[in-house]
Amino acid sequence: MSISLFLLLLLALAAAAYVAGRARAEMVAGGDIRRLHSLPRQHGLNLAIAFALPALVGYAAWRMAGAGGGLWSTLLILALGAASALAVWLALKPETRARNEVEAATKLFLIACSVIAVATTIGIFLSLIFETIAFFQKYPAAKFLFGTKWAPDFRGGSDLGVIPLLWGTLYVSAIALAVAVPVGLFAAIYMSEYASPRVRALAKPAIELLAGIPTIVYGLFALITVGPMLRDWIAQPLGFGTSGASVATAGLVMGVMIIPFVSSLSDDIINAVPQSLRDGSLGLGATPSETIRQVVLPAALPGIVGAVLLAASRAIGETMIVVLGAGAAAKLSLNPFEAMTTMTVKIVSQLTGDTDFAAPETLVAFALGLTLFLITLALNILALVIVRKYREQYE
Amino acid sequence: MKDHLERRMTTTDLNRMTARNVQVYYGQNHALKDVDVDILDKTVTAFIGPSGCGKSTFLRCLNRMNDTIQGASVEGQILLEGEDIYDRRVDPVQLRAKVGMVFQKPNPFPKSVYDNVAYGPRIHGLARSKAELDQIVESSLRRAALWNEVKDRLTAPGTGLSGGQQQRLCIARAVATNPEVLLMDEPCSALDPIATAQVEELIDELRANFSVVIVTHSMQQAARVSQKTAFFHLGHLVEYGDTTQIFTKPRDPRTEAYITGRIG
Ligand SMILES: Nc1ncnc2c1ncn2[C@@H]1O[C@H](COP(=O)(O)OP(=O)(O)OP(=O)(O)O)[C@@H](O)[C@H]1O
Ligand SMILES: [Mg+2]
Repeated sequence: MSISLFLLLLLALAAAAYVAGRARAEMVAGGDIRRLHSLPRQHGLNLAIAFALPALVGYAAWRMAGAGGGLWSTLLILALGAASALAVWLALKPETRARNEVEAATKLFLIACSVIAVATTIGIFLSLIFETIAFFQKYPAAKFLFGTKWAPDFRGGSDLGVIPLLWGTLYVSAIALAVAVPVGLFAAIYMSEYASPRVRALAKPAIELLAGIPTIVYGLFALITVGPMLRDWIAQPLGFGTSGASVATAGLVMGVMIIPFVSSLSDDIINAVPQSLRDGSLGLGATPSETIRQVVLPAALPGIVGAVLLAASRAIGETMIVVLGAGAAAKLSLNPFEAMTTMTVKIVSQLTGDTDFAAPETLVAFALGLTLFLITLALNILALVIVRKYREQYE
Repeated sequence: MKDHLERRMTTTDLNRMTARNVQVYYGQNHALKDVDVDILDKTVTAFIGPSGCGKSTFLRCLNRMNDTIQGASVEGQILLEGEDIYDRRVDPVQLRAKVGMVFQKPNPFPKSVYDNVAYGPRIHGLARSKAELDQIVESSLRRAALWNEVKDRLTAPGTGLSGGQQQRLCIARAVATNPEVLLMDEPCSALDPIATAQVEELIDELRANFSVVIVTHSMQQAARVSQKTAFFHLGHLVEYGDTTQIFTKPRDPRTEAYITGRIG
């Protein structure tokens, strides 16, 4: 039996159990539901859960054990659920605490959902780890971690140093954040503290539109507009080189892309600061800007750090804008008008085309992925530390 | 501050603030109608009246805190030392430094107790040195009857204090800024009798130099601390006069009904 058919059947039977539970509760109450500890619908829910939970767990265990979903085994599992429901049905008395049982089942369900999220992260991490170990068996870890040259060659003898890629990633992200954080934060302050509700209702969606533009469109914008502009107006006149693709181009365009991540979230957070705090400050004769700097922003800081972090993760993971804006040449240079590239771009290029999943040139992609993962993890921990430190001071 | 002091000494007008024909609208809602009140120098004025009658609204008119409320509009004339505070040339920021306010709900900043009290003095540059600032903070906390409870935890967050302590912290914060007129919206509503007595003492002490306006739901408190009383009802100023007169020989039947507990 297919999974969808099984789920459909399960749902129908659970509904039947619900109806049966209700009816049974009303019956044992003898027409006066005030005699019941729990309401009839709670008994119904309890019975439905008593049926569905064992059946679902049984089915999942059966599938994971590798057994196919045969008709008889499926029916057996449904019978298991029915037996458990029947036991509850028979034991139903006016003083049965169905309400508390349902509460416990709800909690279990919520726990299961958070476990799924955490387990996925761990799963991703583990799969990256295994491939990375395989890579390090073929290529020395020290050469990967400290190598300053990136020159993969599928015929062998590659240089797979991560430093130039790491440098490119951090450089581009830093430029992007340098654009997005001030612009986004000040836009958020304007929208939440100064703008009239009408202006705000227009400006906020307009800024959020920036986040909805596909990154490939940003890439094109970088390639045909920003790149040549920076080259002709700044890089060439100042003697920084003649490259159209550059870190500055990609960083600038990426910065524009992540402005809404900073501004929209910060705006919500600043708005959530209670008006009474502003009134308190204004009532002491502080100007609006003093109020914002000394009262509103400190109160909103943890949330703003979170917003900046989200933007940083976006910048670090961005690929398309880098390919088109900064090029694909791995280089270690301080000059922002030079073409460089990032880890994500190289992950894509190492895994596209004819790939041999045993070659270090391919496996290196997983090591790069793990590095990215660790960087974002470190960023998150950093943010937690900042927020905690601030909390200790004030709250 | 210097010139304020000089001006205060040379002033001959006993009226520190004069409100004439004040109307307040919240959108369509006409919340305050034809209010005329004088806030005298070195006097405590009490605003009394049933809940929702517009006491807080009128209090907020006196330092233009209504400016921060969307849709609120104020008409009429309010003078501070002869100057119309709603005149376009008047800076509401400077006005609020002179006319301080303690709000109905305690609103300490998410900063330390010390920084809460030092907030105003720092903004207005009232202290020349750290020692002087320490001194202002200590004396303000003492006047608000909070010093003994917080002197060992000045660096602890103000938001971590109890409700009544927070209210006294807000009083200390307002006193530290050294205003000429202090508006207090139910400053004792969360305080025990001992702290209430201490705050009333503070109000009496402040009267030596400033004008104090206090909103209160306690008739006894109004009778104890104030020299002038204004009774509001349904957005109207029903009666304004000497506290003793209001409480002993009210002219309006509504005033009498309220102070004897028959409407409210
Ligand atoms: N921000 C606001 N927006 C709209 N209406 C308001 C606002 N604040 C007050 N009002 C209205 O104005 C009227 C007077 O309110 P106000 O807060 O001045 O009453 P109050 O006398 O201080 O009452 P209380 O003793 O309960 O504090 C009320 O009808 C209230 O609904
Ligand atoms: Mg009020």
